[in-house]
Amino acid sequence: MIIFFVLPLLLTVVWSVFERTMFWMEPGFTLFSYENFFFSSRLENFLSSMFHSSISVVCAFFIGFPIAIFIRRRVKKVAQHRVMLLFILPFMVSEIIRIFALRPILSRNGVLNSLLMDFNFIDTPISAFVFTPTGVVIGEIVSFLPFMIFSTFLALEAIPNYIFEVCADLGVNRRRMFKDILLPLAAPGLFAGSVFIFVNGIGIALIPTILGGPGSVNAGLIATQAIIALDFPLAMAVSAIMMFTLMGLLYIGHRLFNLTKLLEPIS
Amino acid sequence: MLLRDDFQPRWKLALKWGWLSFAVFILMAPVFYTMYISFNELGFGAKYYIFTFQWYESVFSDKQLIGSLGWTMLLAIITLPIVIPFGLLSAKLYKQSQHKVGIVFVLLSPLFVPADILGSALLVFFKNLNKFFTLISEYTGIYVLESWFDLGIMTAVIGLIVYTLPYVFVVIMITMARYKVEQTEAARDLGASAWRAFWEIEFPQIRAGVFSACAFVVILTFNEYTRTSLLKGGFDTFTSVLISQMLNTGMSEESYAMASIVSLVAIIIVSIILIVTAIKTEELEKITRVVKEPNK
Repeated sequence: MIIFFVLPLLLTVVWSVFERTMFWMEPGFTLFSYENFFFSSRLENFLSSMFHSSISVVCAFFIGFPIAIFIRRRVKKVAQHRVMLLFILPFMVSEIIRIFALRPILSRNGVLNSLLMDFNFIDTPISAFVFTPTGVVIGEIVSFLPFMIFSTFLALEAIPNYIFEVCADLGVNRRRMFKDILLPLAAPGLFAGSVFIFVNGIGIALIPTILGGPGSVNAGLIATQAIIALDFPLAMAVSAIMMFTLMGLLYIGHRLFNLTKLLEPIS
Repeated sequence: MLLRDDFQPRWKLALKWGWLSFAVFILMAPVFYTMYISFNELGFGAKYYIFTFQWYESVFSDKQLIGSLGWTMLLAIITLPIVIPFGLLSAKLYKQSQHKVGIVFVLLSPLFVPADILGSALLVFFKNLNKFFTLISEYTGIYVLESWFDLGIMTAVIGLIVYTLPYVFVVIMITMARYKVEQTEAARDLGASAWRAFWEIEFPQIRAGVFSACAFVVILTFNEYTRTSLLKGGFDTFTSVLISQMLNTGMSEESYAMASIVSLVAIIIVSIILIVTAIKTEELEKITRVVKEPNK
């Protein structure tokens, strides 16, 4: 893992300052790739993909966190893992199949619009579900929601039952239970899930390629397009920026919430 | 002791189950839709629906698709015997180590690094390794290592190992969590070698996790697109054929059928694992209950 994972990622920083040649790159020191990234429309695309990923994180929180709380608190202990495993099923089906099949579901004449019209929620089909940033956000939620549920559940699983019992005995109301108990104790899981969705949202090219419109470009797409254009230093600069973003977020998360707590129930 | 929420009305509980089921349904909806289209004689986008098995019958005549399945299977077969022992060793190392943070960081970070970013970094890494070994070969006159890292099966397998190892690690860790290390210590005290203690005492108890990890590796190999497409060189994998059809000519009806078959196989395998795990867990709990309270 050190040779084929850590080393290539660290070396992206070195390769990103190499000079571009016709088909490859040669050793040297230039910040041209970074200039190329930060002083062009690529930065705008990158920031806009960050914004869309943030929306996906917020949506995944509102959909996934109540599910994780429900499984932890209302489902019998022996059945909790089995219910959680329901969310593994979609994870085990190819992301490509899941994302591509969203196209006909979300399109103007698709299943969703037909259903909304049949139930008289709308009069004319909505075309914003696909080939727009909304499509990208929907794709990210469908792709990454299980991870938010897994990581949050893992954090909640580490909370001993007596804490809930004490709260009940002391008459703690639901709002306070959520704010003072569940939210702080689930924070490591929430953070891990959020980082996963955020970073993959800005780094996976497949979702904007299939569901985004012509302007939907994220860091992953910039990197792969740079490789196709044989601009390897630019691809490496994007990879280095992504790596630093990820490492920074994980470091902050670990300092704030001690992310290794997440593995306590299984270690 | 009853929890405060145990006084909750039944309809609220039903509503929460409904929300959970709805979320699972939404996540699975694209898969169901693919299956639905695969049974339509008129194919995707048709106004009418005529049920047929025609596309499933003709799926095996699509040589490109079958060829790509063969390559994908080959990748899975090569990846499996490498990644499973790595996963086992990593899990054992994690349990014994004092520096858990570092191990977790290295082993689980690939989950967080987007596929395109890791794929691009590995692609450039392999190209540089190739250049390095070519230089060494020219300098020393020994040509053994030259072209080792040309894009092809080996580089694709390395990409898959980096991708699947975190999953294998977590799945094996979950089963290892139930294993008591004292049993290994007892076996060692009785004179068993480290290998024998592992093979005859520990492995039978974590076997379910190891087999589940094997199934996950095969499924993930079939599902993986980005890293493999960047690192595979000349051959086609199942997902690369699907993507090229989707983005260029549109998916053929046979591809919908094949996508449905692959999805269904994955779902069946995972379901079998879940059911077997559930039964085993229940048996273990019964045994624990009997041991704790023998008179009940």
